[in-house]
Amino acid sequence: MDDAPRAAEASAPAARGTERLFDAASPGASKSPLVVVDDLHVSFERGGQQVNALRGVSFELQPGEILGLVGESGSGKSVLALTLLGLLPERPRPVITGSALVSGTDMVTANREQARLVRKQHLGAVFQDPMTSLNPTMRIGKQVIEAAGSTQEAVRLLDAVGLPDPASRLRSYPHELSGGLRQRVMIAMAVADSPALVIADEPTTALDVTVQAQILELLGTLRDELGTSFILVTHDLGVAAQVADRIAVLYGGRLAEVGPSADLFGAPLHPYATGLLRSRLVLRTDRSRPIVTLPGEPPDPRNHPPGCPFSPRCEHHSGECDVALPPLETVTATGEIAPSPAGSAMHQVACVRLGRFSTGHAAAIDERAEPWGPVASASRGRNPAVLVHGVHKRFTIGTGLRKKHLLALRGVDLSLNEGEAIALVGESGCGKSTLLRSIAGLQMVDEGEIEFGKGGRPQMVFQDAGASLTPWLTVGEQIGERLRSEGLRRQPRDARVLEALTLVGLPAEVAKARPAQLSGGQRQRVALARATVVPPEVLLCDEPTSALDVSLAATVLNLIGRLRRELGVAILFVTHDLAAARMVGDRIAVMYLGRIVEIGDADELCSAPIHPYTKALLDTVPEVGRVHVRLKGEPANPIDPPNGCAFHPRCPSAEPTCATSPVSLDPVEGASGRRVACPIALRLRTPITGDLNTAGVMSARDDSGRR
Amino acid sequence: MIKFVVKRLLSMVVILLMLTAIVFLLQKLSHINPAHAYLGANASQAAVNRETHILGYDRPFIAQYFHYVSGLLRGNLEVSLRTRHPVSTDIVAFLPATVELAVSGLFLAMVLGAVFGLISAARFRGAGAFRMLLMSFASAPVFLLSLLGILVLSGNLHWLPGTGDTSYTNAPTGPTGIIVIDGLVHGQFAVAWDGVWHLILPALVVALGPAVSIGRVLRGSLEASMLSDFARTARAKGLKERTVVLHHALRNSVSAALSMTGLQVGLMFAGVVVVETIFAWPGIGLYVDQSIPQADFPAIAGVTLVLGVGYVIINAIVDILQAVVDPRVALV
Repeated sequence: MDDAPRAAEASAPAARGTERLFDAASPGASKSPLVVVDDLHVSFERGGQQVNALRGVSFELQPGEILGLVGESGSGKSVLALTLLGLLPERPRPVITGSALVSGTDMVTANREQARLVRKQHLGAVFQDPMTSLNPTMRIGKQVIEAAGSTQEAVRLLDAVGLPDPASRLRSYPHELSGGLRQRVMIAMAVADSPALVIADEPTTALDVTVQAQILELLGTLRDELGTSFILVTHDLGVAAQVADRIAVLYGGRLAEVGPSADLFGAPLHPYATGLLRSRLVLRTDRSRPIVTLPGEPPDPRNHPPGCPFSPRCEHHSGECDVALPPLETVTATGEIAPSPAGSAMHQVACVRLGRFSTGHAAAIDERAEPWGPVASASRGRNPAVLVHGVHKRFTIGTGLRKKHLLALRGVDLSLNEGEAIALVGESGCGKSTLLRSIAGLQMVDEGEIEFGKGGRPQMVFQDAGASLTPWLTVGEQIGERLRSEGLRRQPRDARVLEALTLVGLPAEVAKARPAQLSGGQRQRVALARATVVPPEVLLCDEPTSALDVSLAATVLNLIGRLRRELGVAILFVTHDLAAARMVGDRIAVMYLGRIVEIGDADELCSAPIHPYTKALLDTVPEVGRVHVRLKGEPANPIDPPNGCAFHPRCPSAEPTCATSPVSLDPVEGASGRRVACPIALRLRTPITGDLNTAGVMSARDDSGRR
Repeated sequence: MIKFVVKRLLSMVVILLMLTAIVFLLQKLSHINPAHAYLGANASQAAVNRETHILGYDRPFIAQYFHYVSGLLRGNLEVSLRTRHPVSTDIVAFLPATVELAVSGLFLAMVLGAVFGLISAARFRGAGAFRMLLMSFASAPVFLLSLLGILVLSGNLHWLPGTGDTSYTNAPTGPTGIIVIDGLVHGQFAVAWDGVWHLILPALVVALGPAVSIGRVLRGSLEASMLSDFARTARAKGLKERTVVLHHALRNSVSAALSMTGLQVGLMFAGVVVVETIFAWPGIGLYVDQSIPQADFPAIAGVTLVLGVGYVIINAIVDILQAVVDPRVALV
């Protein structure tokens, strides 16, 4: 290291390397808070308009505490994280008022050098995308040593965060590691020099679900061992609830609700927190009716309402909500406003109408939504709309001696019936998107056949709706393009475009807009309108909701459900989220390394999984204060899939034969249409008894009683 | 790596074949009889016809081309119609001075470009003034800059020499032909220093334009790198801004600047011909400048080939450097 002050700093605070256990039971009982944020406002100008990102946020964080900071896009959560780090971009120049004390230094008034020293001595940071957050041209070792000070310490840290064989990994470049390992390297750098606080901004969002659980578990372990505080910024209330002691929900640049994780995840009081939790899909969500969603769009930070920022979307809204910004008030266990503020462990809510509506249990099935009608084409019989038979697809990587084959699909059979919806579930590299693109005709398969029913080409909706729309064409032109072959005149064509927009719930004006003028949710609706303006036989959806906010994702899932029923299209829906798969699919197919390992009725598969991998995926569904880590490691590399059952290296119930004998997708006795590629699980399986269809949709009230 | 070298050699062959074809086409289109130029304006028609036949210019165009290419394979670049020496001998004599000028010009362009890119991206003090100065010089054409340099720095101020590559008539002539190196090899440091002194002005003139292009590309990618996620990670570690720029952002930004350097080499070769003529620099630029009015097509073709080879080699080096800088880049 050539940084001169390093020597002086190294002797500074932390008892480096010693694993002092921290008494997590009474966080900060006698200590002064580590972070004190008081009436923090941050605004800046973008495109000539004033963006008010934070509008009076106050909270405290105790040493050794994990605070989950939850919010959707536009809530200001990332701005808050960057303000605490003193890393807000200088252009556009932010206007900051209030204070944000970190270890005694106010990051609002600190000059560059002071803020840098606070980051060096007291702070660590983990960012969302481990692919871009590490320097691609610098070896891992050098990057960790920059933070750790010595090679020895770097190896110790990498070992502590669970990087296998850390000493030899020092010479690796980031692109040679998987996403989960890269995030472990980021965490090693963040906890180097034992910082008092680590700010983790969506640290698990870009990772696979099984890896996400491992990373969350690691954060909890590091807190217990080092006594480091964490601020865990996330859009997912469930992720926060697993490891955080307290959760703060941000909305429109203000705190809507702050309280202990169990309270917030179990019984939130603010209508926004309640709605957020309700649109969060769990395996108990009722599939027979649309998901209860928050109406409207996330707040526009350029144009906040005068009163409660949530009031335009709030079902309990009344005139008094719009008078002034609601203050954050402490509530008692019975849900009443307490007279005096009492400590940071209290439950605080910013809602002037609190107590005048019933908050109820958030996870309760909302009976107000009308159940789905029947699928339009169900009466058309059970002819296959798509028949996939023995499909193999490989990609060639590298050249010459280093040429390798990535086996994306290794023999897939699938039959999608007319009007049916199948959800394909799996982690990155499992081949689910490759299968979808092959069916769409976007690439040729190497082996096997894909046949279609009587319908024409399938239509496809992509993950990134913004990138899949042409930026310089208006929405109307892009939807109308698909009508060109019908030789319609302008007027009837415009009418058809309008009809398609109405069907996806967009106003007529959108036809004249260009994609950049729309929000993420609106763009995904436009993509759906474009796909369905000429109703296809089959609609292919490639993770259409994974880039959207929780509340918007639910509305898009509902929209797909409605389009399916009104237009009678068959749907193939790719996702990494089993709960979303269960909402959309009649059947679910679980994929692992290019093969289907389990397929069957959505409810049956979720309530009584047979394949160990399906069980592991189901285990990733969050619970308060607990992280399930059922699977070690990460999905194997499709370049060189393991022999026998490809899952055996990670499988908790693997036997020696799994590594050698090939597995086939065999039918399950007593369950029609169910197939599982695991002879051991099939042998050990206890016969299914009782009515499986109701097992999966057990009333949440019964379920919650047991919690 | 072997595949990379083979690929580049093949592409060089294709480029050279195309270049010679173009030179031959130009000769055909120009309606100049090189034999006439060879014999002089007063030669009789009979003598011209005889010489035309001896030199082979009366044969079909394609036959001439194949004759030239087959000679090329044996290292025969034919005889210059002007100097009456084999073109290969002439090129060996004139090339070292050009290599000296081009390499130092390229080096200077990269240094100036790097400084320009760095200080304007990192907003160091004085960046604006430096940028103004560089931009205004680079916007002037090469010949104007050359004249300005010769008149002001050499003529009026007598700071720098304005012609040739040495002031010594008895300078050593071997082994490289590059005055600065030969001076050092023979222990004549005064000669070497005098060579450097002669080099400054023409190299600077050659370098200014490419330096601005390289610098602008570098600044653009540096600015992007400094807003990148990994730069944010580096800042979050509490590293100094200087460390963030030099250790993290710079290496991730030179790739685009290297591509631009490769592109600029072609333009620089064109600039070298003009600059050598103005500064009376004894390189192949001066040689070809004197060959063109005499319709000395063998000489023109030979110089064209040499420049083509230089272009391919420098771009291959650029590709290798890119792979060195960025571990994710594979040589193909």
